Amino acid sequence: MRERRRLWPYGFVLPAIVALAAAFVYPLIEVIRFSFYSGSLGNLIYVGTANYDGLWQDPVFVGSLLNNIKLLATVPIMTILALIIALVLNAQIRGWRQYRAIVFLPYILPATAIGLTFSFLLAENGVLNTQLRDWHLGFLAQDWLGSATHVVPTIGSVIIWQQLGFGVVVFAAALLAVPQELVEAARIDGATGWQIQWSILLPQIRRVIEFFMIVEAITVLSAIFTYVYVLTKGGPADSSSVMEYYIFNNGFDNGAIGLASAAVDVLLLLASVLIVTYLRLRARSADAGR
Amino acid sequence: MLKLTKAKRTSHRRLRGMLLGAAMGAAGLLGMTSHPARAADNGAYAGNITYWFWGESDIPGIDKWMTGRVAAYEKLHPDVKINVVPQSTDTLIGAFRLAAQSKSGPDIDSQWATLPTLTPYWNGAAVPISDYVPSSETANWVDTNENTVGGKIIAMPIYLIGVPLVWNKALFKQAGLDPNTPPKTWSDFLADCAALKSHGITPLGMGNSDGYFGAWMFAIYLKQELNSLGELKDAVGNTGSFKLAQLDTLLQNMYGMMQNLMAKGYVNTDVASLNLNQGWELFPQKKVAMSFTTDGNVLTWEKAVGADNIGVAMPPIWGSGKLAPTYDVTQSSDEFITTWSKDKAADAAFLTWLHIPDNLASLYQATGAFPADKRFDVSTIKDPLAKQMFEMDTKNTSIWLENYIPPEVDNNADIPAGQVITSKSGGPEDAVKIWNRVIKQWRVQQIPEYMQFKKWASNG
Repeated sequence: MRERRRLWPYGFVLPAIVALAAAFVYPLIEVIRFSFYSGSLGNLIYVGTANYDGLWQDPVFVGSLLNNIKLLATVPIMTILALIIALVLNAQIRGWRQYRAIVFLPYILPATAIGLTFSFLLAENGVLNTQLRDWHLGFLAQDWLGSATHVVPTIGSVIIWQQLGFGVVVFAAALLAVPQELVEAARIDGATGWQIQWSILLPQIRRVIEFFMIVEAITVLSAIFTYVYVLTKGGPADSSSVMEYYIFNNGFDNGAIGLASAAVDVLLLLASVLIVTYLRLRARSADAGR
Repeated sequence: MLKLTKAKRTSHRRLRGMLLGAAMGAAGLLGMTSHPARAADNGAYAGNITYWFWGESDIPGIDKWMTGRVAAYEKLHPDVKINVVPQSTDTLIGAFRLAAQSKSGPDIDSQWATLPTLTPYWNGAAVPISDYVPSSETANWVDTNENTVGGKIIAMPIYLIGVPLVWNKALFKQAGLDPNTPPKTWSDFLADCAALKSHGITPLGMGNSDGYFGAWMFAIYLKQELNSLGELKDAVGNTGSFKLAQLDTLLQNMYGMMQNLMAKGYVNTDVASLNLNQGWELFPQKKVAMSFTTDGNVLTWEKAVGADNIGVAMPPIWGSGKLAPTYDVTQSSDEFITTWSKDKAADAAFLTWLHIPDNLASLYQATGAFPADKRFDVSTIKDPLAKQMFEMDTKNTSIWLENYIPPEVDNNADIPAGQVITSKSGGPEDAVKIWNRVIKQWRVQQIPEYMQFKKWASNG
């Protein structure tokens, strides 16, 4: 009787467990299984770890991974920019609500539209370079998307431009939630404006900053496919390929399901490291707060 | 030319409708050889046909033509519903690969000729169309050799597309060149480029952000170094005496030539940031003097620059292989029936019907593209430029070399290798390294496909 009582609550969660298993666990197992095969579905040949060996011998995969890592540099940049803008808006300058809306606007635009617009703006003879030449600043004009040297920083800039608004809104909301008493007390104690920002406001929103940085790092690692696809399709000569694009190109365009699955596994591992890091940071800060 | 009154035109239309019906019946009968029971049902097939169709980016206007033809067919066969789903160039191969893996999707699919068509067949996703259409019909189709394997025709062509060199006569004149003499040899071409450049005119307008300029240079100019298609097949499939290292040498020469064009400033400066279509647009805007383009574009540009100012010719000869004098024509959009289609005879009947003379004529009228069928009435070609291109497309031996490399090699080697040159991020040796790596990778990643390729390559 006691045994039955212990088991029956699990019956209630069983449908959810089954749904989760079907939606996440099964595909995950299949992706891992496919990574040991060559060919396409229905015509698979077991090749052991050849796909993983192939990944590390493939300069396009290594380049894609490095590009993802390079693009991680956008995270601290957009965090700092978003913090500066949020702090300025928090001072409730005239029209701050409108400014916040304007800064947020790119975030709600579809990445496809952004990609197409920027591909026209940033072409060798596009709007930006034409304007620079008109202003006698032609020496600054570059082939932003057509040059292997400039293409990754250019994509990074577009990502910052779009994702910045999200950071501003998140930080502005967190700053508004900081108790005003703390700020007032600091002022009474003679703290300068800079000291209030640096020593009072920023520590108060530290956990929000951590959250934003981890979310953006995961985004840059595993959700920037659209930018790359629309802006460059990984070119020129694979120089702007990222892991997602590599997976898409091999899995869908080439039908190399094994190689693509092996790359998915590597990406999953990297994203997991970031998620675990975030969870450990959270746990540590929760312990410190206790 | 005979001019028809409105009434006469109406009666002609009626007559044409009757002929169409009669031709339909005949076409229906022709499509039933492998299903004799169908011969008695007057071609009245019932059911839905899903057709993934590609062609619009090749010859503008064909989507509209296809919609019109489908409506006419459905009128003739009220029980048949054809759902045409236009496909995009970027996802043409990938979308069908995905469909093939789940054995669902279109009943009829379009792919580019040769390996993009043969690969689905090898992977068990397509059936030979010649199993459903009699040879008396397929004998009228042009260039079926592009999609023939083991004596079976896998796909049906719709139109032919040639890739000529087009030049702006006014800009040639401006540069002191003979406006009526196109460059025939590579030294002619370089001399013309130099003259144009010295007069401030950009000689060649192309785009390569999508990698197609590089892919076209491969198709046109690597071919000119080959003595036979077997050399390319042997090198890719490791099947004969022509080795990958020998192909590397030819590729190195070809990319060296391309690099030279870039270094001398003979190609538009923004070639790396424009896609092929955007690069082409420079020609009708009179910003460049020459381009490699398609027949359809030439006819459109003729209106923009004026018939007197435009000329077409075969691309100048650069290579010294036996294939150098051949031209560059392909069927481009090839229609095949999928393995999982429920009524393959119905699919074949519809496809065959697209080749009745009225439909061939309307295709030419709607798009300016030449139907890939010997029954096409060539007397309807009135434009001298079109006449010239039709002759080039049909009188010469033609090969579009890009069709003879596996899609994965095309995508992962052909496209980025040309971009190495146009983005100036490397030299010919870097471009060749990409080819070498990707071909070897393909042999390991696509073992079943590679085995089929070897068999195909070994059979010549």
